[in-house]
Amino acid sequence: MSAPTETTTILEGKELKKFKEQLEEQFGITEIPGKVIKRGKEKVFLFTGDFTEKEMKTLGYEVFVERAGTYIAKDMEDAFRLSIEGSQIFKNQITKNIVELNEEEMDTWMHGSEVLKKTGLKGYVVMKYKNDMLGCGKASEQKITNFIPKSRRLKYKLA
Amino acid sequence: MTRKDRTIPEPKPLFVERMAKLLKGKDLEEFWRISKEPLTPSIRCNTLKISPEELKKKLEDNNDWILEQPWKDCPEVMIVKGKKPTGHEKEILREEGLAKLAPGELGRCLEHMLGYFYVQELSSLLPVIAMPPQEGELYLDMCAAPGSKTTQAAAKMNNKGTIIANEMAMGRMRILASNLERCGVTNTIVTRKEGQALMKRLAKTDLPKFDKISVDAPCSGEGTLRGSPKTFLMWNINTVKYLSKVQKELFREAFKQLRVGGELLYSTCTHSPEENEEVVDKMLQEFEDSIEIIPVKLPAKTRDGITEWEGKRYDERVKLSQRLYPQDNNTEGFFVSRFKKLKEANL
Repeated sequence: MSAPTETTTILEGKELKKFKEQLEEQFGITEIPGKVIKRGKEKVFLFTGDFTEKEMKTLGYEVFVERAGTYIAKDMEDAFRLSIEGSQIFKNQITKNIVELNEEEMDTWMHGSEVLKKTGLKGYVVMKYKNDMLGCGKASEQKITNFIPKSRRLKYKLA
Repeated sequence: MTRKDRTIPEPKPLFVERMAKLLKGKDLEEFWRISKEPLTPSIRCNTLKISPEELKKKLEDNNDWILEQPWKDCPEVMIVKGKKPTGHEKEILREEGLAKLAPGELGRCLEHMLGYFYVQELSSLLPVIAMPPQEGELYLDMCAAPGSKTTQAAAKMNNKGTIIANEMAMGRMRILASNLERCGVTNTIVTRKEGQALMKRLAKTDLPKFDKISVDAPCSGEGTLRGSPKTFLMWNINTVKYLSKVQKELFREAFKQLRVGGELLYSTCTHSPEENEEVVDKMLQEFEDSIEIIPVKLPAKTRDGITEWEGKRYDERVKLSQRLYPQDNNTEGFFVSRFKKLKEANL
């Protein structure tokens, strides 16, 4: 978010409805615990602070506002791809398109590599290892494509 | 890095002289001894994502770490004492019979990548413990990067209420944003502005005043010698004097943006009285009956603020500030002071 903020919007009305419907359709998520903010065309943030849109605009006119809230999803036009935090925040609501990983697969995933696994699913799936949510991948027939950002990847082999 | 690998530069004579005015005899010897020792690693469980019990079990089971929770009322705080030895660590076995962690091991593990904990030195946990924000409050972290205290504050607030996390430097702001994201902090607005200027800008708006403000001021870092021995080389009395002015300005402007009844926590990681008690003394004088210094309750051994330094007498109330020396709790050094705004000041 930059000041004054033209590319940052708090989602309302149709846009918010579309976001909610899409999350429900993809993952079974029904409740969004805060304001949904879109930055640019793709990045979606969740903000649970009490500042109103008017207050945020006032602040944005006075100082450079880098961001509000946490990045939770990327708008891929036809679907939303949850970030690691998105998958963790909605953990208890996600009921669809979950891929459970074993330890070896989790290790591969967290190193940033694709996981060769037939899941019978297509499109964005939430990766889960035991009780841990590990963000989203894109499932195709033979594999799951990885989107873990470099800064969050493991750099060594797990014991 | 093993202990024998650490190269500790010699402290500058004036710094040695000044520390000898603050500490005497065995206390001073102990200060110098521990200042050359590496820190014991410590972490804070990110309760926004996981409970301390769950995290402790995960870290013990998955990484073989031996953890200790040193403060009864803060179970989220853990010291990483070492690892269960495997028999291959001949050179790095510690006195306790534990293997030492590999360099960077804390930050590279899965649980850290998933945002379950923050690597945070014990003394740097104290400002938020001294003035914990509550759910629903409007909280300002004036000098927020790298985000240890902001993420700690957000966890105390359970992501409810609003935090404004301000940082002046672009590079440091990016680190702050990245840490906030990793920790799943959703109630924070990150701003980039020089602290005093931010306060002056906010004063022109109709935005609400803050319930709590943390001024963890830029300082000469005398308390960080153990984690950052290069401070021995960088230390300079002119910097101390310059920073003292900056700190007073930051405090002054921040205090004006506090609501009546609101609280401000002033902290530094340095021992120099010019950056600590002198700042507190000056603010007590300037804000007169608009300000009250209030006692702080901390889980660590601390010492009262000093009331005399190099011929200057400070207000007796400065004693309510607390100094933390590295030798008292096997930590880094720190200074905290807590204030309440009683009424608007006529400044």
